[in-house]
Amino acid sequence: MTAPRPFNLVAELSYRCPLRCPYCSNPLDHASVRDGLDADDWTRAFREAAELGVVHVGLTGGEPSVRRDLEPIVAGGAAAGLFTHLVTAGLPLDPERLARLQALGLRSVQLSLQDAAPEASDRIAGTACFDAKLAIARAARRLDMPLVLNVVLHRDNLDHLEAIIALARELDAERLELANVQFHGWARHNRDALLPTRAQLDTAARLVARERRRPGPDGSGGGRPELVYVLPDHWSERPKPCMGGWGRKTIVIAPDGLVQPCHEARSLPGIELWNLRERPLRACWEDAPGMRAFRGEDWMREPCRSCPERARDFGGCRCQAFALQGDAAATDPACALAPGRDRMLALREAASRSGWHYRGDPTAR
Amino acid sequence: MSGAAPGDVLSPDALEARLRAIGAERYHHRHPFNVRMHEGRLTRDEVRTWALNRYYYQTRIPVKDSLIVSKAGDAAFRREWVQRIHDHDGEREGDGGLALWLRLAEAVGCDAAEVERQEHVLPGVRRACDAYVELVQTSDLLTSVAASLTEMFAGDIMAVRIAAFEKHYPWVEAGGLAYFRSRTQQAPRDAAWGLRYVREHATDATSQARAAAALERKCDILWSLLDAVERACARPRLAPHAQLRFDSALERWLCVLPERAVALGGSGRDILERCTGDETSEAIARALAARPGAGPHARDEVHDFLEQMARHGVLRFLPAGAARAGEAATARPLAADTGARAPDGPATDGCPHAGAEPAAGASRTARRDGPQ
Repeated sequence: MTAPRPFNLVAELSYRCPLRCPYCSNPLDHASVRDGLDADDWTRAFREAAELGVVHVGLTGGEPSVRRDLEPIVAGGAAAGLFTHLVTAGLPLDPERLARLQALGLRSVQLSLQDAAPEASDRIAGTACFDAKLAIARAARRLDMPLVLNVVLHRDNLDHLEAIIALARELDAERLELANVQFHGWARHNRDALLPTRAQLDTAARLVARERRRPGPDGSGGGRPELVYVLPDHWSERPKPCMGGWGRKTIVIAPDGLVQPCHEARSLPGIELWNLRERPLRACWEDAPGMRAFRGEDWMREPCRSCPERARDFGGCRCQAFALQGDAAATDPACALAPGRDRMLALREAASRSGWHYRGDPTAR
Repeated sequence: MSGAAPGDVLSPDALEARLRAIGAERYHHRHPFNVRMHEGRLTRDEVRTWALNRYYYQTRIPVKDSLIVSKAGDAAFRREWVQRIHDHDGEREGDGGLALWLRLAEAVGCDAAEVERQEHVLPGVRRACDAYVELVQTSDLLTSVAASLTEMFAGDIMAVRIAAFEKHYPWVEAGGLAYFRSRTQQAPRDAAWGLRYVREHATDATSQARAAAALERKCDILWSLLDAVERACARPRLAPHAQLRFDSALERWLCVLPERAVALGGSGRDILERCTGDETSEAIARALAARPGAGPHARDEVHDFLEQMARHGVLRFLPAGAARAGEAATARPLAADTGARAPDGPATDGCPHAGAEPAAGASRTARRDGPQ
């Protein structure tokens, strides 16, 4: 099929990160992926992305603020006319730098939190960072920038959900994304320690429903922050529309310039993706064999091929299909109709082991 | 919030405490518009807009009470409740709560005939009030009575209001306050009766939960009424992060927001371009409605569009009387700027100004988790 218009660009500026979260979704071999693009390369990427129709760019990582040249990169996104959004862990960024980035064209911030209290949060992050995060959250609101908070939920912090929501409200977040952990990248290593229990998920769902109706401090603001609550795959019946479809809406550019349909596609065997340093972005998006591999519906087998849901979920996540089924073209086992669904359901029973492994190397290069 | 899980039956006292807690948390005495009213900070325009619009609410009350009477099988109940209809409609032409409200409207400088025609009621106010009637229409008797229990909190607010008007709004002729005075007597009497009824009849967990939910909903309705009034008098300004841009492939203007975009249609862009913090929503709405070719509902459509955009976080509203656009940073934005508390879900259809669904594919990215 011909390539559709992409709307989003995920710019992974660097896989380096001062945090060591046990559920990191970066590839397991992230340390071997260099920061191969300089600010000029990124600026070119943004310009070419805008020509393809991209509207949003999310500057992410790893941690984007480890880049000393984040300023010209932000300016490059703004100059290309893209809505430029920073996805950060909150450090080594600082409030003054955030203000400078805003002046250069940064429009909004997504900040990760690990938990609601300093000790618990720092324990998950594997480093002391909670105070720095709150400083960034407050700075964003002082600068009148919309603040999105993202908290990955797992067995160790799900019981603190009420406090997490209260913190988001106090920080005046526009949206709080509560994403139950998914097992990509490093997270797969720690799966059994991270898996939430059914009781935790039931409590969480009730709590979210109640909190959505709760008024704000002055009685107003039911609906703020907007709560986005994402169930984990092994408790869902339908797969998530991963990335809005492979090679359909979103371009991911890895730190080394590899142009991908998702954060993890490079780890699939036999997927040939192209690099921005060698070709124009349009070619990397439209023509790379790996980008075309699962674009559209031609690759689908049953039960996806004839499924009325295929236009909504696009067959789910290829990386998860490969991880659990050993076949990237299989139906995502998050789907109740998938052959091999039992491997997904087994996760429901596996929530037993405790203790995790921090992501390998905090500041590796 | 007591946070009782479904399944727990509350004692009558615990139920009453729960209902009072809802009022303490959600009743509109805490709405910024009422807070400013009672602090003497409303402009005349705001007082008038409020009086005109709130009249529509007053007209819905006897309709709502008639529906409640029609649900009651018990003569004693009807005898009691019908008194409320008389209180509002009066025993004869020219007395009763509705007539007193018109006197208030006149005293604050409205044209009583215009108020009575209800032509200029804001669409958000109309929706909120109609939602109340519909709530009662579609609920059982107990739930309907519970929804009326905002009266428990009305007596106090009326006393505050009378004092505030006497102190801060001396330009309002004193006779205009007769409505407030009448309610300081009626509201507590009505509330006591309604509360007793709910205490006696909401005896299982399901009916108690329904009663609490109805009171919450009613509070939300009153809240959104004031949101609409406040927004109409305030001066909208495009949020600094919002990006207006023409999309040549879609041939539409887009308003781009964090992780989403709204495709604008028709005059949506014209409206947003006027959102500079200089003009009130109402002024913008009237200006667009006066353009050649504007439809008969153009004013209402502009208000609806602004409400929708507010819900998307696109607009900041500078309250009437606050600093002008240049000094905007010091003005406290309205609570309404986040689109709080619309009585219905996002009403995206039927508004010619916005195809408010995110531009195809431009909605949030499918980022899996944090940046680490």
